[in-house]
Amino acid sequence: MKPEVILHSFGYLTEAAGVTIAVSLAGIVIGFAVGALVCAARVSHRLSLKRIGTLYVSVFRGVPLLVQLLFIYYFLAEFGLDVPAIVAAVSGLALSSAAYQAEILRGALNAVPRGQSEAAVALGFAGVDVWRRILMPQALRISIPPLINEFILLLKASSLVSVVGIAELTRVSMNIASLTYRPLEAYVGGGLFYLAINLVLAGFGAIAERRLAIGGVR
Amino acid sequence: MARSNQVFITRRVALKAGLAALAASGGFVAATRAAFAEDTLAEIKKRGELVAATEMQFPPFDISDNGVYKGLDRDLIDAVGKELGVKVTYLDLPWTSVLPGLEAKKFDLVIAPVTITKERMKHYAFTVPIADATAALMKRADDKSIMKPEDIAGKTVGGQKGTSQVEQLKAFAAKLPKPVEIKEYVDNNQSYADLAAGRVDASVNSLPNLAYAAQQRSDTFALVLPPFGQPTYFSWVARLDDKSLVDAVNTAILKVSADGRMAEMQKRWFGQTMELPKTVPAPTI
Repeated sequence: MKPEVILHSFGYLTEAAGVTIAVSLAGIVIGFAVGALVCAARVSHRLSLKRIGTLYVSVFRGVPLLVQLLFIYYFLAEFGLDVPAIVAAVSGLALSSAAYQAEILRGALNAVPRGQSEAAVALGFAGVDVWRRILMPQALRISIPPLINEFILLLKASSLVSVVGIAELTRVSMNIASLTYRPLEAYVGGGLFYLAINLVLAGFGAIAERRLAIGGVR
Repeated sequence: MARSNQVFITRRVALKAGLAALAASGGFVAATRAAFAEDTLAEIKKRGELVAATEMQFPPFDISDNGVYKGLDRDLIDAVGKELGVKVTYLDLPWTSVLPGLEAKKFDLVIAPVTITKERMKHYAFTVPIADATAALMKRADDKSIMKPEDIAGKTVGGQKGTSQVEQLKAFAAKLPKPVEIKEYVDNNQSYADLAAGRVDASVNSLPNLAYAAQQRSDTFALVLPPFGQPTYFSWVARLDDKSLVDAVNTAILKVSADGRMAEMQKRWFGQTMELPKTVPAPTI
């Protein structure tokens, strides 16, 4: 074990960690927006929308992310649609994460007791307000732990975007391993960066949970 | 009531987003189709940029040293770019994505060293050789049981999956008195790591790669000489129909060889000079 390998490559690893964070963050944010739409479709009373939502989740949760990335980057090019690497990486992460996030949100909505919306309607809340003031805040609170879980999974899955040529953390660790012929040190270095990022992410989750918590209420 | 309201908004937003995406992708298709209609060489000259791809995990040919691309391929393609009068952009892709990416027209030229084989000649256009690719073996420095290539009989050897060196090893092993167990890895570095860890007894790769590895970690690795394989060469590859690009690159490589710049690069990265054929040799494997 030669720790100086990690120290020598510290700047390179930091840069790669920045790429991992940027790609993952974009994937999380866009994934949340798309996921919310898919969730809305799935809980809709319109059968056609419900079916589209279900189909989306089945496809993007059922096909491995690696295959999705290869499809977006290489297969679409066969049809003349030249997707730039960074767009392929972010959209691959976002579209697949959206399927999981949609299901997390749907589960959270279902977990809000039915009596809540019934009571709101009885108290004279308008339809939109029932959603905005009663259902969504409670569902969001319930969904935070599984969402943070999903964000951490996505951040680790972002190592797959190297197949479209993005030099993220895992890829750079491999580069360092091949340059120095010291794989152990290179992967330990990369692993420590992942751990640090995910601890910060989990910390944000804990803060969000605390801020949204209401005394005495679950 | 509440729910249908929500759905209505959602649907309108989704429709708008969908239309925007459709319009954007339509523009994309039109633009890229027009670009692909031209000859690749003419297109490279017009945009003033040659886009080349390799896997930067193949020392001494392709290395990413703290994010800076280095190696023999870098020096050579820079010289070629200068001859063609264009800027060179490098992409780092995993080896398994490199040839599919070329076919999908994600870049113009593969500057990863590709061994010339009969099978590959059918699918890709090869440039003149850029280096020797003859397969050789590397062992642990303290291993006295392997002194010549034939000593691997009855032992385990690791190599990178899908490489011609592994294929050559299989042919070589078939002629040995005892069977050789061959472990195939995603990349050579895992094979080297397992060699250092004692899980395999030798690693197979091309002679220049192994010579560099053995030199960088002489405490751990040693070469097994002579190379066991048929004489083979590394070239760069382009799409089969890009004849004009390959001709231009060949002319540039031969000029770089003739004026002594190639010998300088070889000394820098291989520690020695080597003679290379001036035309694409007929594949021996």
